[in-house]
Amino acid sequence: MVKMKYLIIALLIVMVGILATLLFFPSEEKKVKKRFAHLSEHMSKDLGENTFIMANKIKRISALFGENCNFTVSDYSLSGNYTREEISGIALRGRAHFSTLGLKFYDLKVSFPEKDLAQVNLTARLTGKSVYGEHVDETRELICLLKKIEKKWLFSSFEVIEVLKR
Amino acid sequence: MEPTYRSRGINFCWRLRYLFSKPKRHDVVVVRFAGTKVMLLKRVVGLEGERVEFRDGKLFVNGSPLEEPYVRHPCNWNLSPRIVDNNCVYVVGDNRSMPIENHYFGQASLGRIIGGLLW
Repeated sequence: MVKMKYLIIALLIVMVGILATLLFFPSEEKKVKKRFAHLSEHMSKDLGENTFIMANKIKRISALFGENCNFTVSDYSLSGNYTREEISGIALRGRAHFSTLGLKFYDLKVSFPEKDLAQVNLTARLTGKSVYGEHVDETRELICLLKKIEKKWLFSSFEVIEVLKR
Repeated sequence: MEPTYRSRGINFCWRLRYLFSKPKRHDVVVVRFAGTKVMLLKRVVGLEGERVEFRDGKLFVNGSPLEEPYVRHPCNWNLSPRIVDNNCVYVVGDNRSMPIENHYFGQASLGRIIGGLLW
C-alpha cells in the first residue's frame, strides 16, 4: 500500500515536470508561431486608439523584425528591402489609414530549412474600416522567413504568393 | 461568378474532375487562393500558349472575340495581350460589373485548380 502511494506521487511529479517543460520551454515551432500572434496583436487597431497605445504598438511591431526585412508584393509598390526603422514608419502610416484594423494568421506550416532559419507558409487575413468608411477584407497566402538572432525569432522576409497573375 | 453562381453561396467541388484531364475552355473551376480554406470560383477562358486580352470589355483569345453567353454585366475593361504560360490556364469571373482592378482574375497554375464544380 505504501509502495503504491509512492508510485502515485512519483507519477504526479513526472506529469508536473512534463507539463512545466512544455509550458516554460516551448518548442521552436511554438516560438515562431508566437511571433505571428504578437504581430497580429500589435497590428490590430480599435476605434479611438490613443497616441500612447499607438506608439507602444509601433515600438513592439518594430521589435519583431530583424535589422532588414524584404517584402515581395506584386500588386503594390511596397516591394523592397526595408530597415527596422522604415518598417516602423510603414506600419505607422498603414495603420493611420484605418479606424479599425485586424490582422489574423491561419494555417501556419512551419519548417526549418537551415539552422536558425524558419520558413512559414500561412494565410493572412486583413479586415478593417478605413478612415473614409470603406470596409476592407483581404486574404492572401504568404511565405515568411524568420531568422533566429540572439535567441529571438525575427521576421526577415514576407512574400505574397501571386495565385492569379494578370 | 454572378449571375451563374450566387456570391458567398454554398457549392460542391468535384475534386477528381481533373485527375486525368486538363480544364477546358468555359469550365468553371475551383481555384485554391490561400491556404486550405480560401477558394475562388472562376471560369477558364484561356489555355496554355494562347494569347488573351480585353478590348473595351470584350475578351479576345488569339485575336478572336470569345463568345461568352454567361456574362450578363457589360464592362469596359482593357488589358494588353499576354500569353498563358505552360501548365497554366487563364481564369476570369462571370461578374465583370466592377472596375478591372477590383476583380480577381488572371493566370493560375494547374496545381492551384483543385477541381470542377458539381453544382
